[in-house]
Amino acid sequence: MPELALYFQAHQPNRLKPYTFFDIGRDPFYEDDELNRDILHRVSDSCYIPANRLFMELADTLGDDFKLTYSLSGVFLEQLEHHRPDVLASFQDLVATGSVELLCETYYHALSFRASGEEFARQVVKQQETLDRLFGVKPKVFRHTELIYFNEIAAFVEELGFEGMLGEGVPHLLNGRSPNVLYQAPNVKSMKTMLRNNPLSDDVAFRFADPSWEDYPLTPERYAKWIAHAGGDVVGVFLDYETIGEHIGCDKGVFDFWRGLPAALKKEGVAMTTPSEAIGEFKVAGEYDAHEVTSWADSTKDLSAWKSNAMQAEAKAKILSLEKAVKSHQNPELLHQWSKMQTSDHYYYMFTKGGPDGAVHDHFSPYPSPYDAYLYFMNALSDLQVRVGESFD
Amino acid sequence: MGIALCWSIYIMQTKVLMLGWEFPPLINGGLGVACLGMGRAMAGHVDLTFILPQTDPTFVVEQVNLIGLNHLSESDFSAMQRTDEIRSFAEVELIDADLQPYVEAELKAREEITTFGETTISHHRAIEGREDTGLAMFSNSGSLYGEDVNARVVAYARAVAALAEGRDFDVVHAHDWMTFLAGMEIKARTGKPLVLHVHSLSYDRGGPDARGWIYDIEKNAMEAADLVIPVSNYTGTICSGHYGIHAAKIHAVHNGAEEVKAFREKKPFPEKLVLFLGRVTGQKGPRFFLEIAAQVLKKNRNVRFVVAGTGERLKELIEYGAFRDVGDRLHFTGFLDRDKVNSLLSMADVYCMPSVSEPFGLSALEAVQFNIPAVISKQSGVAEVLVHARMADYWDVELMAAHISELLTDEEAHADAVAASKEDQINCTWDKAAERVVALYKSELGLG
Repeated sequence: MPELALYFQAHQPNRLKPYTFFDIGRDPFYEDDELNRDILHRVSDSCYIPANRLFMELADTLGDDFKLTYSLSGVFLEQLEHHRPDVLASFQDLVATGSVELLCETYYHALSFRASGEEFARQVVKQQETLDRLFGVKPKVFRHTELIYFNEIAAFVEELGFEGMLGEGVPHLLNGRSPNVLYQAPNVKSMKTMLRNNPLSDDVAFRFADPSWEDYPLTPERYAKWIAHAGGDVVGVFLDYETIGEHIGCDKGVFDFWRGLPAALKKEGVAMTTPSEAIGEFKVAGEYDAHEVTSWADSTKDLSAWKSNAMQAEAKAKILSLEKAVKSHQNPELLHQWSKMQTSDHYYYMFTKGGPDGAVHDHFSPYPSPYDAYLYFMNALSDLQVRVGESFD
Repeated sequence: MGIALCWSIYIMQTKVLMLGWEFPPLINGGLGVACLGMGRAMAGHVDLTFILPQTDPTFVVEQVNLIGLNHLSESDFSAMQRTDEIRSFAEVELIDADLQPYVEAELKAREEITTFGETTISHHRAIEGREDTGLAMFSNSGSLYGEDVNARVVAYARAVAALAEGRDFDVVHAHDWMTFLAGMEIKARTGKPLVLHVHSLSYDRGGPDARGWIYDIEKNAMEAADLVIPVSNYTGTICSGHYGIHAAKIHAVHNGAEEVKAFREKKPFPEKLVLFLGRVTGQKGPRFFLEIAAQVLKKNRNVRFVVAGTGERLKELIEYGAFRDVGDRLHFTGFLDRDKVNSLLSMADVYCMPSVSEPFGLSALEAVQFNIPAVISKQSGVAEVLVHARMADYWDVELMAAHISELLTDEEAHADAVAASKEDQINCTWDKAAERVVALYKSELGLG
């Protein structure tokens, strides 16, 4: 009988405003503060507040039987500190129960790794400091933005001192093996890799609200049964926190589902766990050789959500190319501003592949088109170039 | 005595019925600006009535009788039929009782959109049957183009032809294809000479292979015309060479340029600025501008390029710019109002117009007034005016880039280029253009 590791990702980017050519050299503020604040308030009301309240109740009543894991991006925590200290406090209360584990990630929910290991490590350290300051915890398990995972990054993350890392259970890399056991990258010493069970995660993240799905509406009892019969040691169900109440509205019974799940699991004899507990408890069952970059995004489970067209590639390469120039200024504000432009969402909005994946990208984008997203970003980038003096080189 | 003298001058003036489509302040495109410039200057020489689909009654042009179909109504038309009364230009115009629609042409227009087949417009009467005037099409302030532009063109022709039959005039002078149908019909009904003013052809917009309803109107109208006035010799050669119009009746008249209040603004960034102004369509050569930018940037990163305008090629061009890795130096502004355009001109160092086919290219003259040298394509009319400007074939990216690089880095060359171009455009006024049109009325049509 496997255990269930339930992990939610909470994140909000700092979306850019329609930054035009005429703003270059004139306006040093790139973000749409009003929009970002409005969205934070909206999602707080639809998801963070009611969902945190629900899980707090469960933690209080179920005690040790209830286990939950979050990763909260640094830029999200920053927004909460500014605009919704009440939401931040509710996360702090949850962590204080002892039933809730926090994972580490890059502070800026960034994509950078290959371009600069130094920058990646800096953002990890910044996130560790933030989690220590706000929650008094030091996570042992790491997850990279949108569950990006591959051998090289696994080895690097181990060097940074982590005992475990999460990744997407990509079918062709599993090649028929179960995602519900712990694996190890071929190039690490001892760090364990825990994979996301793709079908069971997508059942609750996407199909849950689809009336044409044969199992609609999904009940906690049926889902608990599926977990119980999934085999292996631990089932990784990883999804965006905003799925609860925001992406899937409360009218779809999403809160009732999560409220009922722990009892249903208990009835089936499925224990709840967290990544760090699972890593301590279970042995490595085999090697997971991700020599290509994988993620949990889109149907392709690769980097194409942020890197499939020339605009995304150029925008990302150009922002990272400013690293030296920005850092040479030793100006924390400037560094922070540049770092926030590394957040993956900016590139996500520039996606042009269309199809069902494209519809999801469009749903999240605050811009009329991917081209607008790119133009605003590049104009802001140009201003940054001017400010750091890159343009004089 | 004084009154008698005035009267004699009045009756000696050639009476011109001008037909236009775009007109400020409602539409400020290139055609509208040119029609206003020409109309204003012509008013000093002739008795001018200008019929447009839409006018703004608060916008008055001295000595020009502006008639907007949007201010006429069906009841006005029938009332006039009953009274059969000639009214002065200040009042609503007379409509002939024989009000007939372009049924055939209208049907063909619809057919044309789906089939791109060849059609021939009757040289005499495209009007058969009996229908209303279609005036409703111009009553609101919506676009004059769009999907039903053909229907609008037909409705305009129908209404204007009816208006013209009851009027006293010596010549009908039509600006571009949207009004050519009306011009042809008026000539067929009244026998008055037809002058076509060619600001742009489907050749320019759609390339040499463009065929269809618009091409047919242009070709048939130019064949029927007594005088064809393209805005440049460049366009004249397209009228004669591409459309097969007899060269003897083609006489180019260059556009004028209104004097603009030029000013300089300091750029908020250290790089030089090179400007492209225009629709992002194949005709304007924005893709070549991008290639030129990439070429210049290879040697000199200290430049920013701006594409100001929008069009059907915009998305493709944005993505191509990213592919060419120039996205942080090539900026797209989308459509800009006049103040923003002037702001760009006030900051720019070089203006680049790599048009694939540009009948005139007024923006290059405006740039010169802002003390910016223009690097222009040889396939433009303005190259005949700015004879000292640096130019190249539109496809010659290397040479265009070399011109721009030189002007950006050599201050003396920059100053010389501005001075030479300012000299070139001194005579480029609407007054001169109007004088030449009046002279052509006389020499080619025997009027005045």
